[in-house]
Amino acid sequence: LRIDGRRATEIRRISCKPSVLSQADGSAYIEQGNTKCLAAVYGPREPRQKSAILHNRANISVGVSFAPFATSERKKWGKSDKRLLEIASFVKQTFEPVIQTSSFPRSQIDIFLQILQFDGGTVQICINATTMALVDAGIPMNDYVCACTAGVIQQVPILAYDDKLMSQDNPVDLNLIEESSNSPEVTVAILAESGKVTLLQSESRLSLKKLQAVAQLAKAGCREICDVMDKALRKNVKDLFGKMEA
Amino acid sequence: MSSTTENNNTKYTTENDQITSKSDEGNSNANKKETKFIVDADSIRRIQPLEYFRHFTDQKIRPNGRVFNRFRKTTLHLGSVTTADGSAVVRIGNTSVVCGIKAEVAEPNVNTPREGYLVPNVELSPMCSPNFKPGPPSELAQVLSETVNKLLKSSSVLSLESLCIEEGKAVWVLYCDVVCINYDGNILDASVYAVVSALSNVRLPKITYADGIVKATPDKTIELSLSRIPFSATFAIFNGEILADPDETEEVILEERITIICDEEGQLCSVLKSGGSSSTRETFSTCLELARNRYSVLSTIFKEASTSANTN
Repeated sequence: LRIDGRRATEIRRISCKPSVLSQADGSAYIEQGNTKCLAAVYGPREPRQKSAILHNRANISVGVSFAPFATSERKKWGKSDKRLLEIASFVKQTFEPVIQTSSFPRSQIDIFLQILQFDGGTVQICINATTMALVDAGIPMNDYVCACTAGVIQQVPILAYDDKLMSQDNPVDLNLIEESSNSPEVTVAILAESGKVTLLQSESRLSLKKLQAVAQLAKAGCREICDVMDKALRKNVKDLFGKMEA
Repeated sequence: MSSTTENNNTKYTTENDQITSKSDEGNSNANKKETKFIVDADSIRRIQPLEYFRHFTDQKIRPNGRVFNRFRKTTLHLGSVTTADGSAVVRIGNTSVVCGIKAEVAEPNVNTPREGYLVPNVELSPMCSPNFKPGPPSELAQVLSETVNKLLKSSSVLSLESLCIEEGKAVWVLYCDVVCINYDGNILDASVYAVVSALSNVRLPKITYADGIVKATPDKTIELSLSRIPFSATFAIFNGEILADPDETEEVILEERITIICDEEGQLCSVLKSGGSSSTRETFSTCLELARNRYSVLSTIFKEASTSANTN
């Protein structure tokens, strides 16, 4: 069992809701355990800068921000914080091949992500929230993109639970304490229908033998998350139709 | 009344203020073209917004269907952000803000060795409205931050001396960060409500000071003692009519605004009037009356939210 009582292959409690903002063209709110993320999509719309205009497809711009009270230590994140820019660039690279940008040349699609509470798993929750917000905005995509993180917990003297944690057990969906414990972790984003991997990100040392197992585990976690998101989106559309008929 | 003129085989007729044109080349149906130019409500709304608005206010109603003195549905949730020491999520209609308060320890100012700090900040990100661009805080965000700051100071919501840990050495700093999630007008009311409610939700640890080291207990139980609970009510003035709680479309065209902030005894904390021309004393009296009514509504919501947050 892990610190929060989950088994190795269990993802955190996830709840998601699309269409939460009235001003944005598409929006979604996702909670994965204690991490809360809000995504807003504006577009396709007129690009703000002439330099951003692409003649044959839409320009995608992603902005990530953390609320100052989101982390346990208050931090006022600057707009060009390297970590935020890195997360934004991951999200942009993940979605660029998936969104059908050639349908909207010379326009801009803006994706804004706001983390209201942080307990690990930024890249994955940003990707999941973006998928839902893009679907809510009605922007055509090739497939759902779902992301999940998996890792390997080595024996760390501080943790009192390391007897229970076998190094063979590869935990899925790491929370903040597990992320900060310097253990290797891999974030995987897959296309739901085809199972193809659009993002594989890892910053730690991981043996090649373990990589296959860890990535498989992450993919399984992705599928679970995808089911939850799909249900929420379908329910939302059903409710809208119900209101229209009434 | 209709009249026709002939011009190059095309007949123009005006009927009932609609201008229509017909071209008559032979009797073939395929050549008959009818183009109508109609000025509809939506066009008038864009070309002459104030005229459009006046059509509604003459009938004592607003384009969004609200009567003049009606505020939008308001909800409040306390304590939803667990990483913050106190938090509040406020929704007034579609305007949504989240306020999170973080407490830190700092050295007090030399001139005021017993006073802590209360630092509010309002953030309007490009996510909340298409009108906000990414970049440094806009003028509106800075004005809001300063307004909330002045309000908290002038209405003595919280005695800064109650934030003292050790005179001259350590005091609490309360950072009140308001993040706007969705902007649909009246952000000032929402921000004030969020900050004051979040302050009531703050739970601090018991703190001891010894030899330059500040120690805190792991559990957080100490509440702040708020001396006053001010809530605000904003009104827009149009043609002498008082419109409560303007939403974003109304804010854009109505420049004249009055904000009244009062406390639980109906005493005034602050009055702000900006834009437009001069307002009469009756207008202010009516606004104050409406603000007091609004206060009791907000107070009920606040009490309910507090009890449900305490039982969780």
